[in-house]
Amino acid sequence: MTEDQVLLQDAAERYLRDSYDFNARRERLAQGVYTDPQHWQAFAEMGWLALPVPEHLDGLGLGTREGAILAELCGRYLVTEPLIDVLAAVATLIAPSPHADVWLNGVVSGELITIAAIDEGAGRRKERPSTTLTHTGAGWQLTGTKQWVSAGASATHFIVLASGDKGLAWVLCPRDAAGVECATFPTHDGRGGANVGFDTRVEEHHILLSGEPAQAALEAYRELAITLSSAETLGAAHAALNATVEYTKQRVQFGQPLASFQALQHRMANMLIQVELTRSLVYAACDAADGDTPDRFRFARAAKVKASTVGRKVSQEAIQLHGGIATTDEYIVGHFFKRITALESWVCSRSEALREFMAFSG
Amino acid sequence: MNASNPIPGDYTAFRATVREFLASALTPELARAGERTTSVFSDFEAGRQWQSALHARGWGAPEWPLEHGGTGWDIQQRYIFLEECRLANAPNPVMMGIQMLGPMLMHFGTEAQKAAYLPGIISGDDIWCQGYSEPGSGSDLASLKTTADRDGDEYVVNGTKIWTSMAHYSNWIFCLVRTDKNVKPQAGISFLLIDMATPGITVTPFSSLDGEVEQCQVFFEDVRVPVSNLLGEENQGWTVAKYLLEFERGGQHFTIDLKKQLRKLQRLVASEANAAAEDPTFAFRIAETEIDVMALEQTELRIKGSVAAGEHPGALSSLVKVSGTELGQQCAELLIEAAGQGAMPWQSEVLAPDYQGPTAAPEECVTTMAEYINSRATTIYGGTAEIQRGIIAKHVLGL
Repeated sequence: MTEDQVLLQDAAERYLRDSYDFNARRERLAQGVYTDPQHWQAFAEMGWLALPVPEHLDGLGLGTREGAILAELCGRYLVTEPLIDVLAAVATLIAPSPHADVWLNGVVSGELITIAAIDEGAGRRKERPSTTLTHTGAGWQLTGTKQWVSAGASATHFIVLASGDKGLAWVLCPRDAAGVECATFPTHDGRGGANVGFDTRVEEHHILLSGEPAQAALEAYRELAITLSSAETLGAAHAALNATVEYTKQRVQFGQPLASFQALQHRMANMLIQVELTRSLVYAACDAADGDTPDRFRFARAAKVKASTVGRKVSQEAIQLHGGIATTDEYIVGHFFKRITALESWVCSRSEALREFMAFSG
Repeated sequence: MNASNPIPGDYTAFRATVREFLASALTPELARAGERTTSVFSDFEAGRQWQSALHARGWGAPEWPLEHGGTGWDIQQRYIFLEECRLANAPNPVMMGIQMLGPMLMHFGTEAQKAAYLPGIISGDDIWCQGYSEPGSGSDLASLKTTADRDGDEYVVNGTKIWTSMAHYSNWIFCLVRTDKNVKPQAGISFLLIDMATPGITVTPFSSLDGEVEQCQVFFEDVRVPVSNLLGEENQGWTVAKYLLEFERGGQHFTIDLKKQLRKLQRLVASEANAAAEDPTFAFRIAETEIDVMALEQTELRIKGSVAAGEHPGALSSLVKVSGTELGQQCAELLIEAAGQGAMPWQSEVLAPDYQGPTAAPEECVTTMAEYINSRATTIYGGTAEIQRGIIAKHVLGL
């Protein structure tokens, strides 16, 4: 890591360690508050939301590696605010878009929470949305339904992928606009999803991108989302392992700490081995993305496959090695397990990543 | 930072120099011996010739310090050298002297011992084997029972060592022996250098599962060893042996060979009418293995980066052995599945570097089965996978 990366990591870790209490998180979620305005404001003030925004647009112009540092910590502290979602969606706002800076300032300041709305439910292809952007006599109309929008309940604005007259289009749509029906639901990973219906008039400056640049932005969004989700999985898996190590050292059965049993020691050794192998691959994927090397697509998918496999195994083992306590809602370990499970299928599932890895390997 | 090389600098010229040397020094016979290697050891004679060629070029022991005949290469140069040798199918000489004894001699040896032994090790004129394990002392090495009793200026050694690789080719053996039975096991062990020509030594080679002979049992009956052949202090043998573990850490590169195995696998699957190729799940298994190899390679690079930065890689290096050997087994399994019955013919003579006759197995499969069989030993020797996991649990996780 560079000196700046170490500083970013230390500051972020200090904030989350001191301010992101697990029990406070539980109470907040019980009230249906998925994004704590104070946390989000703090994220903005620490510059996190400006991370991937280029310097000429008043951002920090930092790369995937820096995003991954934050994502890993989000995994470790079980952050429910949609940080990786918003960071990835910045890709749609910084592409050669005539209206980007209008919105970017709001994203960076934390005033807007912009969530990409892509999925339309089972069996629908992401790259051919049935949501349409059509030109009417009076202007533009956005029509269609987006389903299972992850973290959609936290959004102030949706960035909607639609089919327009020039191919794909990204349309920024305020959640409270007339003709937007947003039905939210809690999700198992401590967030709120949304099903969103659109039948709404769209101003010209809400159309961020269309045609080829929109397609490119979708790909950029996906690349960043894949690697950030791997990094968050890594952070959560490592935290689940650490919790397991600490717990088995304390928990006494048969007159001795669980950690003294070799059968359990070797399982924890396996967890560590796999977590560290995953870390190597996730960081390599970041470096490949930031270095813009030809193998960056393969590395991103390899890391996603590895992180998903390891995250699942390690978080399952963490529950097993804890025993009954880890099956309760008030204990932290099961929440790592749930978040890892949610990340596994977010934007690009493990099996999609594996197939794409094979395709890129040619 | 480049994803594939954590160490900045241009090594193109260095790589070219290594390739140039390989192109001239590595004869087709030697490369064939390298290609037909099925375990840690290549054909003995080919390995010896190759060591002597390396030594003549000044590259006999790249890892050693300059003053003892090393190369002075940095960590990246050493890696490139190893990689080029592996890719060109250079054979593996018997390396116990260079990799194991050498570092211990340099650290613990007297000036007289260094002068007496290091030159023969690096030239390959002396072949050393390692006498650690005993029939009753495997993973619990400290329980070893071979004794060395002091008698004037000599030790009298009695007992037996097993899994002594290549002892039948060796003229020296470095041994752990018990010099004090009345203290805790680790505190009563000494490190002795023993000439294999000393009266009272018997070597009994035995075949491994693949039919090849690499392993031996060595018997010591009233073997008289000069006290001057003690390395380190008396009863300090455990410390001497443990130093090597420290030295070895981080120096292991499994992925060069794993990538070779994967390429072989892909060639095999791509060949005409391969049954495994028709199974779509087989392609997924190869891809998943490839991803695991990428993860290990990046871990090796992380270690290399931290060693180059003068840091101690610590936790990382201990997991490389476990992961590298288990992935090697996984690749070997995929290879025998892809080879099918083609891997079954058992024809020892094809392994000889000068063999010119027909092969019962398809050319690309002649070593597949032997490699699979021998891969089982990789998680046993040099500290079993269970011992390694115990080390990780204790020293990394603090359990």
